[in-house]
Amino acid sequence: MRSPEWAMRSRALALAAAPVAVALAVGVVPVLVLFAESLVWAALPDLTGVLEAYARVGRSVYLAVLGRSVLIGVLLTGACLAVAYPVTYWLAHRCPPRQRVLLLVLLTLPLWLNYVVLNYVWVWILARGGLVNHLLGAVLPGLSPLRLLYTELSLTVGFVYIYLPYVILSLYVAMERLDGELLAAAADLGASRVRMVTDIIIPQTAAGAAAGALIVYARIAGAFATPEILGGPQQQLIAQLITDAFLEVLDLRFAAALAFSFLAVVAFVLLIGLTSRHLRREVRRW
Amino acid sequence: MVRPRAPGVLGWVVISTCVFIYAPIAVLGYLSLSPTSQPAIPLEGWSLRWYATVLSDPRFMRGIMTSIGIGAVTALTGTLLGLLAAHTIMRAPASARLRTAVAAVIAVPLFVPTVVLAVAIGITAGRVGVGFGVLPVLAGHLVWVLPFTTFVLTARYAQLDTRLEAAAADLGASPLVAFRSVTLPLLAPAVIASVLFSFALSFNEFLITFFLAGSGLTTMPLEIFGKVRIGATSFLNAASMLVLLVSAVVALAAARFEPPA
Repeated sequence: MRSPEWAMRSRALALAAAPVAVALAVGVVPVLVLFAESLVWAALPDLTGVLEAYARVGRSVYLAVLGRSVLIGVLLTGACLAVAYPVTYWLAHRCPPRQRVLLLVLLTLPLWLNYVVLNYVWVWILARGGLVNHLLGAVLPGLSPLRLLYTELSLTVGFVYIYLPYVILSLYVAMERLDGELLAAAADLGASRVRMVTDIIIPQTAAGAAAGALIVYARIAGAFATPEILGGPQQQLIAQLITDAFLEVLDLRFAAALAFSFLAVVAFVLLIGLTSRHLRREVRRW
Repeated sequence: MVRPRAPGVLGWVVISTCVFIYAPIAVLGYLSLSPTSQPAIPLEGWSLRWYATVLSDPRFMRGIMTSIGIGAVTALTGTLLGLLAAHTIMRAPASARLRTAVAAVIAVPLFVPTVVLAVAIGITAGRVGVGFGVLPVLAGHLVWVLPFTTFVLTARYAQLDTRLEAAAADLGASPLVAFRSVTLPLLAPAVIASVLFSFALSFNEFLITFFLAGSGLTTMPLEIFGKVRIGATSFLNAASMLVLLVSAVVALAAARFEPPA
C-alpha cells in the first residue's frame, strides 16, 4: 500500500531528476571520464604504462607552467582584493543609498559582457600605436614607443580588468553584512582608521573574501582568452597547454592528464580552504 | 537643503575604478568610428561604415544568429531546470542531506575550472560518439548556466513567505495548483532575470564553445576570437561594440528585475 507521503516524496524526486541528471551527465561524469582517459584507456588491456601521461606532465617545463598559472592566479586575486576592499567598503557603508544600486550595476556589468572583447579593448590601449603610447609621445616627443602589449604588464592589467567585477560582487555581499554599528562603536571608543580596518573590517569580511577568492584564483589560473590575447609567448599558462594538446596536437591522453593535474591542484587548495568552518558556511551561502 | 559632499579618498577610488572599467570601452567605441580599415589615434574623420560592413557580413551575422539561438535554448532550458532544482532544494519533502546533495551536484561546474570542464566534456562526447557540434555545445552551456539559474531562484525562494503556500494548501490547492497560482507569480521577477542573465552568459561564452564546436559551427565569440588573433581592425572594433551593446542591453534589462547582491 502506497502512503500519500510516499507518493509526495517520489514526485519530489521525479522533479529533481532532470536537473540532477544534466549536472551528473555533463558535469560530474565527464570529469571521471577525463580521469579514466588520462590513466587507463590508453594502457588497456594489460595496464602497462598507466602513469605514462602523468610522467610527461611531471617534466619541469609543464610543471613550471602549472606553477606559474597558480602563482599568477593567487597574486592577481590578491591585487583584485586590494582594489575591491576600499570600493566595496565605500559602497556598502559610505555611499548615499540612491547611488548605490547604480554604482553596483556599473561595477558588475562587465560580468555579463563578452570577455573576449573585454580582453581585446586593451590591445588598443597598450599597442605600439595605441592610446598610452600616443599620449606618452605627445607629452615626451622623441620617446620611442614602449613595448607594453604581450608582456607581463598587459597580462596583469587584462586579468585584473576581467576578474575585478567578480571579486567586487562577492566581497560586497560580505561587506554589506558587516554591522555599521560595530564601526560606529569603534570610532566612538577612539579606534584609529588603521585599527578599524585591521581589527574589524578585515576579520569580519575575511571568510566572504576568501570564498570569492577561492573561485576567482582558479578562474585566473585556468584562463585561456586573456593570455592568448594579451600575453606573449613567455607568459604561457596551463589552459593554453591543455588547448594545444586537445585541439592542435590531438593528444587526448596528455590533454586529460594536464587538465586533471590542474584540477587536482585546484581541488586540493579548495579542500584546505574548506577545513575552515567559517569558509564552509560562506561557500554554502553561495 | 543638503549640499552634495565632495567624495573622500575612498569615493575617488570608486570613481577611478569605474573609469578603469569604462574608459577602454569608450576608446574602442571612438576607434570603431574610424573611416579607414586601420584606425590611427587620433582619427582623421568619423564614419559608421564599419558598422554597416559588419551588419552585412554573412559570416559575422551567421555567428551572431547561432549565438542568439544557442543562448535562447540555453536560457529557457537552463531556467526550467534551475526552477526544478531550486524547488527541490528549497521545498522538497526530503531530508536536508539529500537536498544539500542536489545543491552540491548542481554547483560542481562552479568549482571545476572551465578549461577542465570543456576538455572533459569534449573527451566524453568523443567517447560516447556525439563528437563535436551543436549538441555538445548546448550541453556544455546548459551545465555552465545551471548553477547560476538555480541559485538566483533559490535566493528568491528564501525571501518568499512560506505561509502563503501553506495557506493555499490549507484551502485545498494541490501542490501543482499552489505552485502555479502562488509560488510562480512570486518568483516571476527572478525567473525573468534568470532567463536574461543566462542568455547573456551563453551568448558570450567562449571557452566551452571553442573546445566543443568543431569545424562546422561558429558562434559570435568564436568569430571575434578568430579575428583578434589575426589582428586589430576597424571591422573588429565595430563588431566588438555591437556585441557589447547587445549583452549590455540584456544584462541591464535583467538587472531591473534582479538588482545585483
